[in-house]
Amino acid sequence: MTLKTLSPGPRPAGDVRSKRRTSLGRSGLKASGTNVRDRAERRLAVRMTAPSLILMALVAAVPIGYALWLSLNQYSVRTAGLSRFVGLDNYSSALASHEWWAAFGQTFLFAGLSVSLELVLGTAMALLLNLAFKGRALLRTVVLLPYAIVTVVSAITWETMFQPNLGLVTNVLSALGLPGGDVAWLGEQGYAMAVIVLADVWKTTPFAALLILAGLQVISAETYEAAELDGAGKWQTFVHITLPLLRPAIVLAAIFRTMDALRVFDLPFVLTRGANGTESMSMLAYSQLRENRLIGEGSALSILTFLTVMAVSIVYIRFAGGNIREVAKEDQ
Amino acid sequence: MDFTPSSIPMRVAAATKTITGCSTPHSRRHITMAAAALTAVLLLSGCGGGPASQGTENAAAADPASAANASGNLNICGGKDASGIYRGTAAAFTKENPGITAKFTEIGATTDEARTQAVQRLEGKSTECDIFLLDVIWTSEFASQGWLLDQTKLVEANKDRLIPSTLETTKFEDKYWGSPFFTNAGLIYYSKNRVSRPETWTQLYADAAKAPGNGYVYQGKQYEGLTVNFLELLYSAGGEVLDEKGEVKVDSPETRKVLDFMAEGLEKGSADRAVLTYNEDATRLAYESGDYGYERNWPHVYRLLNATKLAGTFDVAPLPSFDGSSKASGVLGGWNLGISVHSTNPGAAVSFINFATTPEWQKHVAIDFSQAPVNEAAYSDPVVLAKMPFAKELLASVKGAKPRPVSPVYPQISQAIHKNVYAVLSGTVGTDEAVKKMAEEIKTAKASF
Amino acid sequence: MSTVTATGTTAARADRSHPTRRGVASLGPGRRPGKFGPGKRRLRGEARLHPLVWVFVVAVMSFSLVPFYWLINTSLKTGSSLGEGELFPSQPTLDNYVSVFGSSEFLLAMRNSVIIAVVTTCVALIFASFAAYALARLKMRRKGLILTLILSVTTFPAIAIAAPMFSIWREIGLYDTLPGLIIPKLTFALPLAIYTLTSFFREIPRELEESAYIDGASPFQAFRKVILPLAVPGLATTAILVFISVWNEFLLAVTLTTSPAARPVPVAIAFFNGTSEFDQPLGTISAASVIITVPLVVLVLVCQKRIVSGMTAGAVKG
Repeated sequence: MTLKTLSPGPRPAGDVRSKRRTSLGRSGLKASGTNVRDRAERRLAVRMTAPSLILMALVAAVPIGYALWLSLNQYSVRTAGLSRFVGLDNYSSALASHEWWAAFGQTFLFAGLSVSLELVLGTAMALLLNLAFKGRALLRTVVLLPYAIVTVVSAITWETMFQPNLGLVTNVLSALGLPGGDVAWLGEQGYAMAVIVLADVWKTTPFAALLILAGLQVISAETYEAAELDGAGKWQTFVHITLPLLRPAIVLAAIFRTMDALRVFDLPFVLTRGANGTESMSMLAYSQLRENRLIGEGSALSILTFLTVMAVSIVYIRFAGGNIREVAKEDQ
Repeated sequence: MDFTPSSIPMRVAAATKTITGCSTPHSRRHITMAAAALTAVLLLSGCGGGPASQGTENAAAADPASAANASGNLNICGGKDASGIYRGTAAAFTKENPGITAKFTEIGATTDEARTQAVQRLEGKSTECDIFLLDVIWTSEFASQGWLLDQTKLVEANKDRLIPSTLETTKFEDKYWGSPFFTNAGLIYYSKNRVSRPETWTQLYADAAKAPGNGYVYQGKQYEGLTVNFLELLYSAGGEVLDEKGEVKVDSPETRKVLDFMAEGLEKGSADRAVLTYNEDATRLAYESGDYGYERNWPHVYRLLNATKLAGTFDVAPLPSFDGSSKASGVLGGWNLGISVHSTNPGAAVSFINFATTPEWQKHVAIDFSQAPVNEAAYSDPVVLAKMPFAKELLASVKGAKPRPVSPVYPQISQAIHKNVYAVLSGTVGTDEAVKKMAEEIKTAKASF
Repeated sequence: MSTVTATGTTAARADRSHPTRRGVASLGPGRRPGKFGPGKRRLRGEARLHPLVWVFVVAVMSFSLVPFYWLINTSLKTGSSLGEGELFPSQPTLDNYVSVFGSSEFLLAMRNSVIIAVVTTCVALIFASFAAYALARLKMRRKGLILTLILSVTTFPAIAIAAPMFSIWREIGLYDTLPGLIIPKLTFALPLAIYTLTSFFREIPRELEESAYIDGASPFQAFRKVILPLAVPGLATTAILVFISVWNEFLLAVTLTTSPAARPVPVAIAFFNGTSEFDQPLGTISAASVIITVPLVVLVLVCQKRIVSGMTAGAVKG
């Protein structure tokens, strides 16, 4: 059986047990040196991560390395086949440009607004989905619907909803006598960003809600019963028990949502084409790489975007805690 | 499925071995041993450029005589075939030339994507496509990269049957790099009961501001469409972006006049601020609501408008002059046929181009596919007139229209235009500042490596 | 079984361990539906729903459904009524649905999408649960570095990767094939799956595995027999997230395919023909978008029972 071949062989079970029980710390384990088991475990770890890592290396490493190389060169858009090595020039000119920093600021504004709304709303939704009531299955399906819509289609839907005279939102506002019915939402500074944030919140809150819901599942009933016995109120229970226990799930949702939000492309591309202060870092990279075919400059912008997103993710993991940080800190 | 996991490494190895010859002096100097794998890929995808041929002077040319004995397969690649013209023409051509089998391959769902896909194939020296459908604004870019066969001889031979303005879009550095297939020009649709026929832009804007239902809708979203809408006004006011020598001439009184005029139109209610979010389709839908007096759009709208409750209430006019003191002028759209330098069957490609541009087939272009012919006689054909009652207006627009700035860096130039025009229209930047910035950015673009 | 064995020591350790573990530590016994009848709980939960909670339920439902309603509304309109912005279509028609289902290319795309999404999700779950178990539980060097590398794979902008991948895929014959889409989609879905599962595996109390070790299990057996069954909610959640992200991915799909034989649904929708190069066929696009949510709804209905496994029904009170 595959199980047998993969398993590291016979091991003194009782020994492990006593070791773990007596020396709670990992260092203790290491010091006492269960070498055979140790090595077997490491070998298993390597075998279990290998398929994923090899696949990623095969598929992603070459294109990523290629983009890195491109970013160190300039390729002529005027003369066929001409290129030159420019070192880090593409990076320094990007970092000296107004466009990059404008896009940088706008992207962070978008990400900050949308991710915080998504986490708050996602947590609330998850709590709701976790309640036992009739129609919960229906609610769960309904809540997930937006996430299932193809991104470009959801962008088009939001675009038409906010079109003056034609859209659902503008029509309803007019019918109710509220202001905003005659506003070209996507044509105005500020409003345009608001619509984009709203569309993103609509589409991706289910992602956060689902992760947080799964996090809620592993909090046991006893924990709450204990809190109840201690006389904690509902709000106190939520703040002091639920929220801390949900932290790993929330941090996880935050990492992936922030990563995606910082690379936002489809929504502003369809809704505004980057007008009215909505151009994102990815759009800037796209416009140089694809539209203008400034391959070196565009690759440098892609890599700057990548570095920015990575930096934010690492800061998140380090400072927001959660299980991923615990794993990352283990280097044994 | 033609795929087994074990075969991949072998194929990769084989692919790596086949790479030879394509490198630049610079890349050679800097590639180290460690980057060998990268180099392979770099070379695989064509060094980020085309073949090593320098400039457009020594470019290979398409030979008109090669069409005579052409046979085999011909693959035509282009964007989405909404009107059916690409497949339709390929089928008709195959029927008429039994020795050649022409087929159409849809390589992109949008114009942007079709360009990306074409570029990827050309950079990779793919022989998949013999003919590329080229948006008129791509021609100089593709020519300067050495991706197209020089069609000068072919165009010279077919010149008599082609409208001169449409030929200008295929010209770059005094050679022709494509043949026009079908063209396009802006038209003004207007509600004939409420507003008067537009003779000048100033009159159109004045009429549009007179009553709430008279408003003018156009493409004001920040994209290529805004460049076109702005250039139509600029050209009709006698302004230009680049002069004949390619010098930047956009920092001019005409540019300022037109920008102020457009911004004032938004302030005084000639046009709704909603136009700042409109592309062609949104413009059409807005006009179809019946709340507007004038619409700037392409010819395809005619048929769609006639299918709505507005049928019979509107009329079509060519784009007007600015204020009567200058000539009316517009901007040409449409698609050209370019032959890939990597084509394995250029003779069949020449034969296809000859077929597509015949006066006879150009009538079908209008009758069967509702596109604007590149042959003048087609516009007065009775069947065409029955199908396109506005053919006279369309011909006037086409003949009066000019190409958008001809340059290999056109995408950057267009961006400099629509971003700065948008900034003025939305009121975030003053005219003077925007014009200076536009000129500066176009100069930077022209100085691109 | 082993879960029961572990419970004895759980309570004693819970107080000293990390706060995130505390609640989780008692997960084992809590899972036994026999001990805490879910029926009783559910009744209590239902009785306690505050009116304000109902208001919130309605608000959440509306927020999710209103744009979806607009999509359905659009899908029931054709021709010029598309531009009229009516809140209720005056002449609703199913023409768009008929034409979508009548298109053999769309049906082919549905088939492609289902194959791609199912295969990718299954393989991703297997690969990722292996990797996640190693990261969460086993001794290994440079976990921080490995996590960073994994993350960087998804963080890299896809537009910078698409062009070189196009060239390589053409060279090795993967261009315009289903495996040619599954492989990259799997690669870029793995990081999300690995992170999610790593986080979930950490939530499972170590004591449960240790008691499995006492029973003579190898680490791999502990993974298969103890961890995996307990991680079902996490696996189901991951499955949904991976499935949907693979289903909706567009850029790689459009870059790496050229014919209807390999095109998945989002690309096929983009290729729907309008009346001209300037317009998008909003009606058919909307109809197709509504249709393709159906497989996802089915998926959610199937998976959601797994997300809420026995013990947790009605666990959260307020």
